[in-house]
Amino acid sequence: MSIIARFLPLVVLPMIALLAAAPADAQSAGQPTAAELARQIQEIKRDYESRIRALEGQLSNLEKKSQAEEKKTPAATPAKKATADNAFNPAIGIVFDGRYASFSADEWSRIPGFAVGHEAERAPEGLSLGHSEVTASGNIDDKFRGALTLGLHAHPGEATEVELEEAYVQTLPGAGLLEGMRVKAGRALWTFGYLNEQHAHGDDFADRPLPYRAFLNNAFNDDGVEVSVVLPTEVYAELGGGLFRGDDTPLFGGSDNGLRARSLYARVGWDMGRDAAVRVGGYLLDGKSRNRGGGGHAHANGHGHEDEHADEHAHEDEHDHEDDHANGEEEHEHEDDHANGEEHEDEHGEDFASFFSEGMFTGNTRLYGIDVRFTVAPTGNARESELILQGEYFWRKEDGTYTLMEEEDGEEHTENLKTDSIAHGWYIQGVYKPAPRWRIGARYARLSPPDDAEIGHNPYAFAAMVDWSNSEFGRVRLQYNHEALDGDEEDNQIMLQYVMSLGAHAAHSF
Amino acid sequence: MSRHLAPALLAAFAVVAPASAAADARVFACEPEWAALASEIGGDNVTVYSATHGRQDAHYIRARPSLIAQVRRADIVFCSGAELEVGWLPVLMERGARPGVQPGQPGHLMAADHVEVMERPERIDRSLGDIHPTGNPHVHLDPGNIARLAVELAGRLARVDPANEEAYRSRLADFEARWGAATKRWRARAEGLRGTKVVVHHAAWVYLLGWTDLDLVARLERISGVPPTASHLRDVVERVRTTGAAAILLAPHDPVDAADWLAERTGVPVVELPFTVGGQDEAGDLFALFDVTLALLEKARDRS
Ligand SMILES: [Zn+2]
Repeated sequence: MSIIARFLPLVVLPMIALLAAAPADAQSAGQPTAAELARQIQEIKRDYESRIRALEGQLSNLEKKSQAEEKKTPAATPAKKATADNAFNPAIGIVFDGRYASFSADEWSRIPGFAVGHEAERAPEGLSLGHSEVTASGNIDDKFRGALTLGLHAHPGEATEVELEEAYVQTLPGAGLLEGMRVKAGRALWTFGYLNEQHAHGDDFADRPLPYRAFLNNAFNDDGVEVSVVLPTEVYAELGGGLFRGDDTPLFGGSDNGLRARSLYARVGWDMGRDAAVRVGGYLLDGKSRNRGGGGHAHANGHGHEDEHADEHAHEDEHDHEDDHANGEEEHEHEDDHANGEEHEDEHGEDFASFFSEGMFTGNTRLYGIDVRFTVAPTGNARESELILQGEYFWRKEDGTYTLMEEEDGEEHTENLKTDSIAHGWYIQGVYKPAPRWRIGARYARLSPPDDAEIGHNPYAFAAMVDWSNSEFGRVRLQYNHEALDGDEEDNQIMLQYVMSLGAHAAHSF
Repeated sequence: MSRHLAPALLAAFAVVAPASAAADARVFACEPEWAALASEIGGDNVTVYSATHGRQDAHYIRARPSLIAQVRRADIVFCSGAELEVGWLPVLMERGARPGVQPGQPGHLMAADHVEVMERPERIDRSLGDIHPTGNPHVHLDPGNIARLAVELAGRLARVDPANEEAYRSRLADFEARWGAATKRWRARAEGLRGTKVVVHHAAWVYLLGWTDLDLVARLERISGVPPTASHLRDVVERVRTTGAAAILLAPHDPVDAADWLAERTGVPVVELPFTVGGQDEAGDLFALFDVTLALLEKARDRS
C-alpha cells in the first residue's frame, strides 16, 4: 500500500486544483474584477437583446397569423433551420482520453490461462494517451445509416496504431423490413452482454472488467452481419442473431472460409415503478478457429504486439502445423501427460497454462453471456442522483487442440494439447451519483481459467473509482485497482483519467 | 445450465409476447403536457403514454427499455422537438420505431415545428451549453401554442386513424371552445401581472414571460444546462438588489441550491411553479396548469 501513499498526493492534487478552478460554489463570492464587470455588462446587453428579439418574435408572429391562416401548410420547420447548413455532412465526433497511471508491480503478471491481446493489457505507467477515437456517422438515404469509428492507440515509444473499430451500415426503420427489425452489416461492436456494444469512453471505469479483457480483448468487433427484432410487446423484448468471419482474437481466429462464427441473443427490459428500470439478457457466440493466434512463442517475452505477432505466426506456420498434425503420436503422448501434469512440466519445461495463453488453437469455441442492469433515480432525474447496478457472467467452452511452438537448441518444434475445457468469469459493479457532477463506484471481477490449464487459482480484481463531470462531454476520473491475476502476485494501481468528447455525440442507450 | 439458457429465454418471450388489447390509436408523448393534450383530443379513441412525469427534466432522460417498447407500438410520437429530447429520443426512434412515426411522416409530431420558436441562437458552440442549439423548445407555456398544437394533433390523429376522424374533429371543436374561453380569462389576469419582476433558473419560462409580460430580471443559469457560476451569481445578486423582484421561479426538476442562495441574500421568495401537467398535484390537466401558474404568480406579486 506504500505505493498509494507515495502517489496519492500526485494524483489528488491536480484533481483538487481542477475542482477549485471549477466554479459551482456560490459562497466564494467576492469583489468583481474589471474583466468580470465587462462580462456582466455584456450579459445585461445580451439579456436586453434577447428580450427585444422575443418581442420582435411576438410581433412577427401576429403579422404572420393572418397569412398562416390562409395557407395551412403544416411542414414549416423553423426549428431546424439553424443546422441546415451542414445537414448533409456526416456528424463528426472526437473522443480524447488521457491518463496518469502508477502501479505497485513493476511487470504486469498477465492473466495466466488466457491469451490476452494488446488492448486488454495493463495501461502504460506514468502519463500516456489512452484511446482516442474519431467517429463519423450519418444517414446515407432514407433507408440506410452508416458509421465509421477509428481508434487511435498511441503506445509510448512506438508508432501510433490506427484501428478500424467500426465501419458499418444499418437499416433505418423506413427501410421496408418487418416492423421493429434492423439489419447491421460490416464491422461493429456487436450485441453481446452489456458493455460490448458501448464505446469504451462511456464506461464507468477506466478499464474493462476481467471477463471482457480475458475473453474478448475488451470487445468483440468481428466483421459480420447482425439482425435484430424489437417485438411489439408491453415489456421490452428484443431477439437477434448474427453471422461473422470468426477472426476476432482471442475468441475466434484464422477463419478459413470467412464465415465461421454466429451469435444469438435475447433480452427483456421493464420499469420497476416510476423511476427504476431493469434489463436482462442472454447471449451466445459460437465459432470455429483454425490456428487462432495466441501469445506467439512460448519463449517470447510477455510484452509487445501479441496480436499481430500471433497472426503472422498463424499464417507463416500453417505448413509446419499441418506436418505436426500428421504426427499423431506426439498429440497422443500429451494426452497421456495430461493425466500427470507435474511430470509434463518437468519433462518439457512447460506448464499447461502456456498452451492457453501462448498457443495456437484449432477447434470450437462457444461463449455464453448473461447480463443484468438495474437503474434507479430517486427523483426520476438521473442527472441529479442515480444508482446503477450491473453484472455480467461469461461461460466459455473450448473443444480442440492447442499448439505451442518451442525452441530447443535453436530448432523449432511444436507440441499439441488436446482440450475440452471450460473457463468462466463474472463481474458485478455499482455506481452511485450522490450529486449532479459526482459519481462513485466499485467493481469486483473474478475469472476461472480453463480447467485443463491447471492453474490452481482464480484471478480477481477489485476497482473503486470517483469521477467528476463538468458536463455530459467532459469527465475526470480517479480509479484504484487491486489486481491479483497470477496467484500471490498483487498489483495496486492508481489511475487518473480524463475523457472528453467534441462534436457529435451519440446518445447513449440504456 | 448454459445449455438451457436459450430455450429458457425463448420461453420467457412466449410469455410476454401476446400484445395487449388494441386501442384505435396509440400516442407516445415525450412530455406530460403533450400527453394531456392528446387525451383532450383523442379521448377514448387513443391510448396515451407519457415518457416522462411532471417532476422529471425532459432534457435528460435515460432511453429505458420500456420507452423503446412504447415507441415500438406508437402511431404518433408527440414531443416538444427543437432538440429538447435530442439526448434520448433518437435512440428510441432508431431501436423501436415504426416507419409511420419517423420524421416527415404523419405520426411524427414535434411541437416546435408548428409554432414560432424563440431564442434561436446566432451561433452554435458547446461553450454556450449543451442544450437548445436550435432555439428554446419549452413552447407549451403559451396558451396560443397549445391551441395551435391541438389543431395539428387532431389532423394527425385523423390521418393515422381515419375511422375516428369525426370523433377527433368534434373533440377538437369542444376543446377549442373551452380553451378559447379560458385563454381570454388568463390574458385578462396576465394584464394584472404586467411588469412583475422575476428571476428564473433555466430558460424554460420564455414563452410564459412572453404572453404575460412578466419582466425577466435575471437567469440563474447563465448557460443553458450548465450550473450557475459564482461570478454570474454575484452579478445576479447585484441586479436583483437594484431592480428588486417578486419571485425566483423554479420548475419542479430545477435544483434548489442556487435559488435558495439568492433568496437568502436578497429576500426574494422562491416560487415553484408546476411547469407541466402533474408538476404539482393541483395541476392535473392543461387548464389547471395555467390556472395554478397564474394564481402562484399573482400571490407572489401581491406579496412583493
Ligand atoms: Zn431547456
